[in-house]
Amino acid sequence: MKIGLYLCKCGNNISEKIDIERVKGEMSKEVYVEEVSFACSEDGKQQIELSLRENNIERMVIVACSPREHERTFMKVMESAGLNPYLMQMVNAREQIAWVTEDIERATEKALRHIKGAIKRVSLHQPLEKKEVSICPDILVLGAGPAGLKAALSLASAGRKVYLVEKSPVIGGMPVRYEELFPNLECGPCMLEPMLGEVLHGEYSENIELHTLSELVEVTGFFGNFNVKIRKRPRYVDSTCVGCGECVAACPVSTPNEFNFGMNQRKAVDFPFAGALPNIAWIDDKTCLRFHNQECTACIEACPLGEVVFRFDEEIELFERQVGAIVLAIGANLYDCSRIPNLGYGREADVLNAWEFERMLASNGPTGGEIKTSKGKSPQRIAIIHCVGSLDERYVQYCSGICCSYAFKFNHMISQKLPEAEIYHFYKELVIPGKESIVLFNHAKHNPKAHFIRYDTIDAFEITSNTDGEILLRVKTEEFEGEFLFDLIVLCPAMVPIEDTKELGRILEATQDKYGFFEELHNRLDAVQSKIKGIYLAGTCQSPMDIQKAINHGVAVAGYILSNLVEGRKIEIKPIVAQVSDRCSGCKICIMLCPYKALSFDENLGRTVVNEVLCQGCGTCVAACPAGAAIAKHFTTEQILAEIEGGLR
Amino acid sequence: MANKPKLAVYWAASCGGCEIALANLNEKLLEVLEHFDFVFCPCLLDTKYKDVEAMADGEIFITLFNGAIRNEENEHMAKILRKKSKILIAYGSCAYEGCIPGLGNMYHGDEILKAVFIDSPTTENPNKLLPMTKTETKDGVLTLPAFYEKVKTLSMVTEVDYYIPGCPPEPHKIWEVISFVVEKLSTGQSLPPKGAILGAGSSTVCIECDRKKENKKIKTFKRIYEIIPNSEICLLEQGIICMGIATRDGCGALCPKVNMPCTGCYGPPEDVLDQGAKMIAALGSVLDIGDTKGLSEEEINRRINEILNTIPDLVGTFYKYSLPGSILQGKIKGR
Repeated sequence: MKIGLYLCKCGNNISEKIDIERVKGEMSKEVYVEEVSFACSEDGKQQIELSLRENNIERMVIVACSPREHERTFMKVMESAGLNPYLMQMVNAREQIAWVTEDIERATEKALRHIKGAIKRVSLHQPLEKKEVSICPDILVLGAGPAGLKAALSLASAGRKVYLVEKSPVIGGMPVRYEELFPNLECGPCMLEPMLGEVLHGEYSENIELHTLSELVEVTGFFGNFNVKIRKRPRYVDSTCVGCGECVAACPVSTPNEFNFGMNQRKAVDFPFAGALPNIAWIDDKTCLRFHNQECTACIEACPLGEVVFRFDEEIELFERQVGAIVLAIGANLYDCSRIPNLGYGREADVLNAWEFERMLASNGPTGGEIKTSKGKSPQRIAIIHCVGSLDERYVQYCSGICCSYAFKFNHMISQKLPEAEIYHFYKELVIPGKESIVLFNHAKHNPKAHFIRYDTIDAFEITSNTDGEILLRVKTEEFEGEFLFDLIVLCPAMVPIEDTKELGRILEATQDKYGFFEELHNRLDAVQSKIKGIYLAGTCQSPMDIQKAINHGVAVAGYILSNLVEGRKIEIKPIVAQVSDRCSGCKICIMLCPYKALSFDENLGRTVVNEVLCQGCGTCVAACPAGAAIAKHFTTEQILAEIEGGLR
Repeated sequence: MANKPKLAVYWAASCGGCEIALANLNEKLLEVLEHFDFVFCPCLLDTKYKDVEAMADGEIFITLFNGAIRNEENEHMAKILRKKSKILIAYGSCAYEGCIPGLGNMYHGDEILKAVFIDSPTTENPNKLLPMTKTETKDGVLTLPAFYEKVKTLSMVTEVDYYIPGCPPEPHKIWEVISFVVEKLSTGQSLPPKGAILGAGSSTVCIECDRKKENKKIKTFKRIYEIIPNSEICLLEQGIICMGIATRDGCGALCPKVNMPCTGCYGPPEDVLDQGAKMIAALGSVLDIGDTKGLSEEEINRRINEILNTIPDLVGTFYKYSLPGSILQGKIKGR
């Protein structure tokens, strides 16, 4: 086997510190040695290519810079010389030797060891070939909030088929339930309506297959070729429904309305709220009399379209779809304030969390947008407690970063609706990031009815009610002690992962961070990619964030998918992957270790198999395999030992 | 009779179990005798060293050499038998990897002699005499072979053709090797390449073990007296350190079949350099210390140590049979 050693001088970068003549002198006669001035230059590449051909070189060792910089360059030179690009080994003589070793003799000695290691190693290299697999360009988007909708729309407008799966009967996520949004006090439903309209009836809506009341239950496959199973609960109302609402008025049974957090009632057949999209009534089979052995036909009789709209025989439907990528945009939750008992939440009727207060402010909400106490009184003293559960080791360590902004929106909206009301902001820290939030903050700051009191710990509060139905708030901090009577208290809790994150994480094998949000591949460079290839994260299921950022996430995800999952293009599989030989005895030590879920157990073969699409060649399984059956291609034990041996000389 | 190839069985630092295993061939021993002439076997025959030394080079066809190299005599005999034999087989774990005598490599030769001849509570040795290689007496000089600092494997002192693992090798496997060699000889075929492992597989004990194996997570290690293991589930999954995952197959998974963990006597699987290191790497990968997200390094270390503390004897567990032949080889003096 003829090995060619090419010594790049890199101008003076390498030759100044490494004695090239001595290196040449110490090479055995079997190794062909040649100097190159700048190996990466066009001239240099041509020189090497020509030399490889003329000297019938079979393996190349190139002594140059970091492989991170030019390994690809020299692999291409190998290819153009008709050699398999993996029959090459690079010695990083610049960054790892010349630049960091002052003494010429020591640098030369170090270079010799590296070179001898590389020569021993390269003779054991195997030619490797890239493989390709075809992909499915369609996409599954879970969650039809701002992030999921934006992702779906962006992909659909690029001509991609999108399966948009939403758990609730309504799309738009949380913001469609808010009357006004910070920072510009735009109407939430109005702002989002055009986007929802696009999804339902827009130019590219035929590319979006929307499934409400649906969830992902099972996934098999991998990036480019997932097979997903969706469970769709029945709506019992056909999509031909025109949404007139006659049936709602006629329905004889009511139940607490979960879309208003139980603050009012809804009917068994209803819309989550006025203006909810899709504008199709839905029937709650837990409440509807027909599902409790009663012969009620009130809705059918009231419907101007008649019986054809109703599908009482609908059942839970399970169906499968093929997709190439999955977008998780399932949203977040608010911290459960009842876990901090001194705040009285859940005990005192007039202690509300931010979502409940948003619905109270909403004109399509339980009070028609009127702020009032549980006794129907117009509140004159309102407390807004920021940082509930946040910045606290016992509850949630982080700051959600959006609560102060909406708290000052509350301040503004309260002042509009109740100009005489006194508003108290109790806060731990004030966080109003970005270029826009300051407006609402300034408004609150200059509002003569607004008062700011800083507290240090949530334990500072003791909230109880008196016999007059007022709420007594005692607060005691190091600097401040006082007692207040309030008519209404609004809690601004931390944003926390939604319950489904865990289960979905299990189904998809997508990891969660220490707070329970879906874990991103890299917190700065790849925040919308999960650690599983082909599973993307958008919106608050990845981290607390505002609508702007969630929408940006949606677009970012679409960008990733459009560039990673290109229609017609095959996925290239890097050949440096793990391989499990038939010496595997099936002990199953390895399977759970794979960070990329590339290992599975083949019951027929009785051994572990590697999915080469998912495998990233990290070598975790190779290190762990006690049978020596897992092998890392291009990093075999023999190759590594040979390199060490060469280095030890 | 004179035409039959000659067979020798020798024991160096060993327990005698390998001879018992050979004797356990039972009636098959007679078949062995049909094909071979037993010329040297201290356990069965009264052949003297000088008789072996007098043989021509290569006169013995096969020597099954069991036992580790603990002293000068072991090495001397290893070299003589090498010279006199066409095929030298490291027979059994001691000759192959050092085995139980090799655990002595956690101490040095002088420490061992001191422990045995001076510090041992049942020894009366007021003058603190230690064995010496030469002792002058009025009747002449008495000699003893030198006791080595470290136990070596057979291949560390001489060239070895083949290895038969096991402590001891299973009789049916010994028979397999003998009949294999006889068949090769009688049909004129060539023998396997030098260095081959005979009488064993190339996978691990798990392949011969019928227990149900699942993905592994280990919260704590248990010793066999601490639980009554379920006989259908992988012992390792029950917290018992079963070396089967890192041990070459061939024994038929005898120990796990009777609810006892494999202790690793068949040595590392094919292409595994260091059985103990492999086992440690594998177990290290499946220790279940719970969710480590957000934990301090100290807390993670504490949790790991808590599990590791349930293993009473690390070297005796992971290197029970393989210490001298492993990358580590033993404890370094002064450390």
